[in-house]
Amino acid sequence: MWLDEADGFAEIFRGYLPFYLLVAVPIFLIMSPVSPVAASHEFSVYRMQQYDLHTAPHGCRSASFNLEGRSLTSWSTSRHCVVARIQDITIDQFMEIRSKAGALLLVLPKNDTILTPEEKDHIQLLEMAMIQLEVNAPVYFAQWSPDFENILRDLQHSFITDDKSGTALEAMVNTVSSNGYQIVVTAPTPQKVDSKPVTLHGKLAGRSGSQTIVIAAHYDSSGVVPELSQGSDSNASGAVAVIELARIFSRLYSTAAERGGPTLLFVLTSTGHSLNYFSIKKWLEEQLDSSDASMLQDVAFVMCLDSISTGPMTMHVSKPPKAGGAAHSIKSRLRIPINHKKINLADETLAWHHERFSIRRMTAFTLSSLQTHKTGARSSVLDTYSESPNHLVSNIRMVARALASHIYNVTEEVNDEDEALYDKALSVEEDSIKHWHKYMSSQSRAPQIITTNPPSIGVTGALERVLARYMEVTVSIHTLDKREPEYALYSPTRAILYVYSVKPAVFDLILTLAIVAYLTVVYFAMQMFPKFYDEFAKLVNGKTKEY
Amino acid sequence: MTLYHFGNCLALIYAPYHMAYKFSGISEYASFSKCVTAGCLYIFTQLCKMLFLATFFPDSDSSLSGEYDIILEFLKATVDFADLVGLYFAVNSVPGKGHAKIFTAAIGWASAEVLVTRGVDLWGGARGAEFDWRHVRGACEANVALLRTVAISALLWQRPKTKAMPALLATPYRPILETLLASALGLTAWGAVGLSAGVAILASAFALKLYAGTNAHY
Repeated sequence: MWLDEADGFAEIFRGYLPFYLLVAVPIFLIMSPVSPVAASHEFSVYRMQQYDLHTAPHGCRSASFNLEGRSLTSWSTSRHCVVARIQDITIDQFMEIRSKAGALLLVLPKNDTILTPEEKDHIQLLEMAMIQLEVNAPVYFAQWSPDFENILRDLQHSFITDDKSGTALEAMVNTVSSNGYQIVVTAPTPQKVDSKPVTLHGKLAGRSGSQTIVIAAHYDSSGVVPELSQGSDSNASGAVAVIELARIFSRLYSTAAERGGPTLLFVLTSTGHSLNYFSIKKWLEEQLDSSDASMLQDVAFVMCLDSISTGPMTMHVSKPPKAGGAAHSIKSRLRIPINHKKINLADETLAWHHERFSIRRMTAFTLSSLQTHKTGARSSVLDTYSESPNHLVSNIRMVARALASHIYNVTEEVNDEDEALYDKALSVEEDSIKHWHKYMSSQSRAPQIITTNPPSIGVTGALERVLARYMEVTVSIHTLDKREPEYALYSPTRAILYVYSVKPAVFDLILTLAIVAYLTVVYFAMQMFPKFYDEFAKLVNGKTKEY
Repeated sequence: MTLYHFGNCLALIYAPYHMAYKFSGISEYASFSKCVTAGCLYIFTQLCKMLFLATFFPDSDSSLSGEYDIILEFLKATVDFADLVGLYFAVNSVPGKGHAKIFTAAIGWASAEVLVTRGVDLWGGARGAEFDWRHVRGACEANVALLRTVAISALLWQRPKTKAMPALLATPYRPILETLLASALGLTAWGAVGLSAGVAILASAFALKLYAGTNAHY
């Protein structure tokens, strides 16, 4: 055989070994299957909001990074990606990270954790602070998962030390035992997306056809993470209320005998407070400045609904309602406290939805459960749907009653029979409200998502179809100014994050030393084996000779 | 795994096999081809085993319930008797003195095993960015496997002696017993490697004792 003739394969090998090492090994390595997804962890992460408002930049400006993960306490340079729980990071820490760190990865609270009111306040404040300014480092958010918990723990308790350990041995032990993480996100560079905000409106013509009552709400949500801003309270609740009021009054207005005096106009807009109520501004311009301005000729009042599911409502006005006016009549029928705040045009954004109407000299007010517009609750990732406490149904019922009693000019319910009739005519459908509220809160309605889709699909399409059941709906698509866009939105909003376990280079050196030591022991063991065997054989055979 | 780490793992796997070949004295017999024969026998045995398993235990892959069926595992382990048969042929196919037979067959057999089982894993992980102790652990397991294979071939070589029989009969069930013991003791992956190293050392001590005894009778 050829192999036997070659006088041992080892001889061939010896001659060819250098060649083999130089050529074959690299070829083998290049041929080896390289799979970048072979990371031990892979997560869906959501990029922080990025938008410009009147060319003022807000939010995160970059998307990709490939950096070493560190905890809040151990990071030091721009080569580190800080990984932390959103509850743990303070605003000061964020500001430092914003100016110095390479990237930030925040893990949201576990779904079933009960956050204390202080923690909630803290998170909302942090979100407000984050979105206020621009951040040049990539910032990502991730949903909680057990794997993340492990990574966080590893990063917190054992970080790879370069110079902080006491002794060399300690440093060595630390190096071998600790886990490092390389965190990689590959995403396209942020780009402006083509945003086409819409306004839906439908009208129920009244008897007299002179006065108009406008009921408006925006249905987008805003938050520091576009993909995760479900905005259950702000402002799914307001949009649901508009739908429900449209249903109730469309029934009343369907017969000529029951039809009320004023015309009712229902308006749903797709950009809310985060983008300075752009849609409604454009819509008003279109309606008022066009030649045919009949629709908004004589507006009795404008009622905006914003965040009405978390508690009893307050009426927010820019000008105290005059006694005898329509707004005063509604106020006295609702019997709710009033909050007067003047419009401040110097602010970057308007405080409330109604201010857009007030600027155009209409009587307008906003009904909201919130006491002040300065709260972060309107733009929080924590604003998710919850079954209780949910004041939406009772608030809608209250608004419907007040509105109806204003329209039909009922001063007082005279007897029980009348009241029962009244209740029947104005009964709200709790199931439908809950269903719609849940549906709207089940997905993100960030401007990036709802204004970039065509208006016939998604939430906009659903709202249009449901309103169309009760009245004729007009969809107005607004365009941004070409040269000086009022706002700009950026993608991507999500990415895949890879986490690789890594060890420092020193670790491999230590491993080599260990392997060399082990091989030396094996070598000497083999060299000593004949002697050992002789002794062993003597021992064994000595024993066997005994019996 | 970095290239350097790849080199580390490769050295940890290859060096003991090389040293065993060099210093056991069999290289003087110029019996590399015999090692290759033993390796081919290993691969042939594995193919036969796979065919048998695929024919008679068809649901081994589709059982997604995750339950550990001990009886089924024992039946499957029984098929590993084929390994003993194959190794027995390998030992007997080598001409020469006892220790040359044992070492040549064992080194060929274990080398083929390491090439087939660890090689692909190591090769596949060679260019990933991820560090995993798995590769280093695999290299250590390969060392243990060499020791074990030598012990088993030594036992097989003296099969006529009934003393070796109980140990040989237990061999196919060794992996499953080790797994059970490791999970009963709550051992980590490294602990399991240590356990199998301990078992291999005990087995080789036993084999050495028998071998020494046999040689004394000649």
